[in-house]
Amino acid sequence: MRPGLYVHVPFCSAICPYCDFAVRVGDAADGAGFVDSLLVELNGLATGDALSDLPAVATAVSRLVAGEFGRFDTIYLGGGTPSVLAERDLRRLLEALRERLPVDDDVKFFFEANPEDVTAQSLRLWNDLGVSMLSLGIQSFDSDQLRFLGRRHHADEARRAVQMALEAGFDTVSIDLIYGLPGQTEDAWRRELETAAHLDPQHLSCYELEIHPRTVFGKRSARGELRELSEDDQADLFLLTHRHLAEHGFEGYEVSNFARSPEHRSAHNAKYWHHVPYLGLGPSAHSYAPTGEGGVRWWNERHTRRWARSLGEGRAAVDDHEALSFGDLAFEALMLGLRTVDGVDCRRLERDFGVDILTGHAKQIEIWRVQGLVTRTDHRIRPTVAGMALADRLVTDLQLEHEITTEIDRA
Amino acid sequence: MDNVRNFCIIAHIDHGKSTLADRLIQTCGGVSDREFRDQILDSMDLERERGITIKSNTITLPFTSKKDGRTYRLNLIDTPGHVDFSHEVRRSLMSCEGALLLVDASQGVEAQTVANLYLALEFDLELLPVINKIDLPSADVDRAREEIDSDLGLDPFEAVEVSAKTGLGVEDLLEALVEKLPPPEGDPGAQLQALIFDAQYDVYRGVVMLVRVKDGTLKKGQDIFLMHTKKTYQVEEVGLLKLEREASECLEAGNVGYVIAGVKSVRDITIGDTVTDAKNRSAEALPGYRPARPVVFASLYPIASDEYEDLTAALEKLSLNDAALTYEKDSSAALGFGFRCGFLGLLHLEVVQQRLEREFGLALLLSAPTVSYRVKLKTGEELVVDNPVFFPDPSEIEATYEPYIKAQIWIPERYVGTIMELCRDRRADDIQLRYLTQSRVEVNSILPLGEVLFDFYDKLKSYTQGYGSFDYEMFEYRETRIVKVDILVNGEPVDALSQLTHEDRARQRALHYCERLEETIPRQQFKIAIQGAIGGKIIARTTINAYRKDVTAKCYGGDITRKRKLLEKQREGKKKMKVVGSVEIPQEAFVAVLKSEAGK
Ligand SMILES: Nc1nc2c(ncn2[C@@H]2O[C@H](COP(=O)(O)OP(=O)(O)OP(=O)(O)O)[C@@H](O)[C@H]2O)c(=O)[nH]1
Ligand code: SF4
Ligand SMILES: [Mg+2]
Repeated sequence: MRPGLYVHVPFCSAICPYCDFAVRVGDAADGAGFVDSLLVELNGLATGDALSDLPAVATAVSRLVAGEFGRFDTIYLGGGTPSVLAERDLRRLLEALRERLPVDDDVKFFFEANPEDVTAQSLRLWNDLGVSMLSLGIQSFDSDQLRFLGRRHHADEARRAVQMALEAGFDTVSIDLIYGLPGQTEDAWRRELETAAHLDPQHLSCYELEIHPRTVFGKRSARGELRELSEDDQADLFLLTHRHLAEHGFEGYEVSNFARSPEHRSAHNAKYWHHVPYLGLGPSAHSYAPTGEGGVRWWNERHTRRWARSLGEGRAAVDDHEALSFGDLAFEALMLGLRTVDGVDCRRLERDFGVDILTGHAKQIEIWRVQGLVTRTDHRIRPTVAGMALADRLVTDLQLEHEITTEIDRA
Repeated sequence: MDNVRNFCIIAHIDHGKSTLADRLIQTCGGVSDREFRDQILDSMDLERERGITIKSNTITLPFTSKKDGRTYRLNLIDTPGHVDFSHEVRRSLMSCEGALLLVDASQGVEAQTVANLYLALEFDLELLPVINKIDLPSADVDRAREEIDSDLGLDPFEAVEVSAKTGLGVEDLLEALVEKLPPPEGDPGAQLQALIFDAQYDVYRGVVMLVRVKDGTLKKGQDIFLMHTKKTYQVEEVGLLKLEREASECLEAGNVGYVIAGVKSVRDITIGDTVTDAKNRSAEALPGYRPARPVVFASLYPIASDEYEDLTAALEKLSLNDAALTYEKDSSAALGFGFRCGFLGLLHLEVVQQRLEREFGLALLLSAPTVSYRVKLKTGEELVVDNPVFFPDPSEIEATYEPYIKAQIWIPERYVGTIMELCRDRRADDIQLRYLTQSRVEVNSILPLGEVLFDFYDKLKSYTQGYGSFDYEMFEYRETRIVKVDILVNGEPVDALSQLTHEDRARQRALHYCERLEETIPRQQFKIAIQGAIGGKIIARTTINAYRKDVTAKCYGGDITRKRKLLEKQREGKKKMKVVGSVEIPQEAFVAVLKSEAGK
């Protein structure tokens, strides 16, 4: 796979009470100045005039920009709400990316939009810009739930946005949904899935509601005003989601992602899961590139103002970085692999990172197999749906065992 | 020496001893206004927070009488009123010739008033009755006088009326006490004999001994010999106990003060020991202290196992300051090394635990408190068991006996029904009522001590809206049916959670433990059975299902680092868990179970 490009647009018309992304309230007017800063950032990287003073990061950026890992073949505009950007700003941003970076001619363009921004005109624009996968932040088809989630659209608006997007002829239209709201029953969630499936998009992302401490929901939950579902209820909804969508012909290829067929999977997200190099622009954006000792990941300033200020002062907006050892990479590969249907390619793990889990963890893997959490075909371990539901647990079990055995080895 | 007065203030809890001490200190100018605060002698955080005195405190004050114009040196000791700390009172009494016996004018004579009177008489002290809180609208001075006469057998007309709060009558009290209480006897020129009645630990100076000089004189530079520990030291400093220590040339017979003599370790001295001159040794030691006998036992473990050394050092230091605390090494398969400790009561236990946590910064886990049981085996042999670990197998037991107390409970009449019900629920053997007035009742009951260990006092307070009070004394052992309840996790006993209890309570207590564990042990790969058992018989059971969901919905774009760090942290957490059988039990589970004990 070739490198990916990510651009973070940090504006939303209002902040949802559960959101813990790097976002702030903003509109098209804020977008213009923001794109100016993005172009400064891009220019600094492309010319090498404003590289990070972290040597590992500077080297990695230079290599990415020089096309040493290949040309970028995906561009992902995420946020926030990229659909707040005005046509002019979108155009000059994309143009600049193509001009300043080694972008492939056949690049696939991923775009996130909120239903209230979907109009005949905007769809025409996005089509014209070459969007191949359009993700719609629908979240729910139920007006009560939408209000609870603090969203700015209604149920019928949601449905209409999906229909219009589907008629506009993008390669892939994806619907984002949230489940596991306090008090949500299996029946209520099944109805939502039913609605989504009948609209017949090519892709669905179903995220379980997570309560993060520094959000409005987090505070309400700390005060005891919001009750999260029990582990059993969460598990029931998770399994229901996978089962139900499978019946409607969607493959759950990742914990929260479902595709009509393999070509509709998100090719951009797959890069994150497989340690394919990626470059991120905009506040809080992360980047990754391999190095001789493993890899390096770095990330931009999280706050838009601070990010813009650094750029204004002619510096890179990098906040910090992390040097990853091969051991770290192996752990991540396991952690991410156990979240996907394709699972973990143990031979690759050994070849790329020097970690042989098939011998080291044979017993643990066998236990999982007997418990119905994974299946095994010679060098690949794939999680079942039940296993995917426990992906975080499995990877910590594995590491623990690993450490115990190495301790014993030493003794 | 004629102008020295050594006395302590004794009374029932809350009758105003520390407040009266405040007034005495202020009247004698022992503290500047700037330094002053209420209950100034209660210097421990815990004392200030709870508004009770835990440790006796000594202070030396100058007082010039208006009557005879002489200046006296007063050595005052404020003592605690709670029954759990009566060993402190006993120690204080031994270094005094007199005592002020305080009676709250609105409450009258109460249990500890009488108990402390007897203690004082045991040491031959001169007593001056004082009626306090006369400023209260509910004060009934006449009744208080009557009770001083009938219940205490003291001269009611000697009693001085004061308000420790407003200061009313305090001057008169000072005049009365220098007149009525005797000066110490003793000869400054005689062979040295001084009693160590308390000690403190000073990080810079080492052990600071508080002494009462009976005979002779203690001087700087003198070589002293401790008769019990048989060690010799050279005196570095002697002085008086003002609010701060105040060095002086010497301490003469009849005086109370401190000695610093290069004693580095707390193990090198014992409270109650006699100090004498190394070159001119006294043949006989002063009568020491009767060691306090613990009645409540529990094990203390550091939550972090690497704090065991710290706990050892802390207990050593604390026991110097709290002579009633006993402890010995203990270990648990689940919780590692710790100490089995003996306490004089529940409040004492709580105070020790909190002092260790606060003054020494330790995080502690406390096993279920237990009393000391007697067990008769079929072989005829008799055992004393205060630790569940040593409880014999049921098949070997002929009979078990548990300690009973004589409880006195004072309540307003309207709560009689509720409180009798509470006593019955706590297996009271006998309940008798005595009407003190038309509206105040004394409930006398014979209760198993083990039954008041858990929240009896809290219940009493909440059932009576705070009006009830309670006191007890040890009574006798009676035959009962004590069993050992084990808690099993997937069939493996968790030793730290075993407990001794009455058969009728066993199921309820076992279930309580099982439920708490069910709430706090995280789900694991397999189903976990948590059981309570007596011998091989299961009496309670809960289960924890295998885990089903543990995965975050999103891997935030490219921010894989955050996710990995989170999992690495969880993995670290798992390493810290105790493994019993193959079940991982987090430390929090023990904390939750053992801490919930009090609220049970
Ligand atoms: N109205 C009034 N209240 C008083 C008087 N003396 C003490 N009190 C109050 O009674 C309460 C208990 O006073 P303390 O001096 O702490 O009693 P204590 O006897 O030292 O108590 P322990 O040390 O716990 O045994 C406090 O709230 C005092 O303010 C008094 O003369 N009049
Ligand atoms: S629209 Fe999305 S990014 Fe914006 S606040 Fe809501 S959840 Fe966050
Ligand atoms: Mg007091």
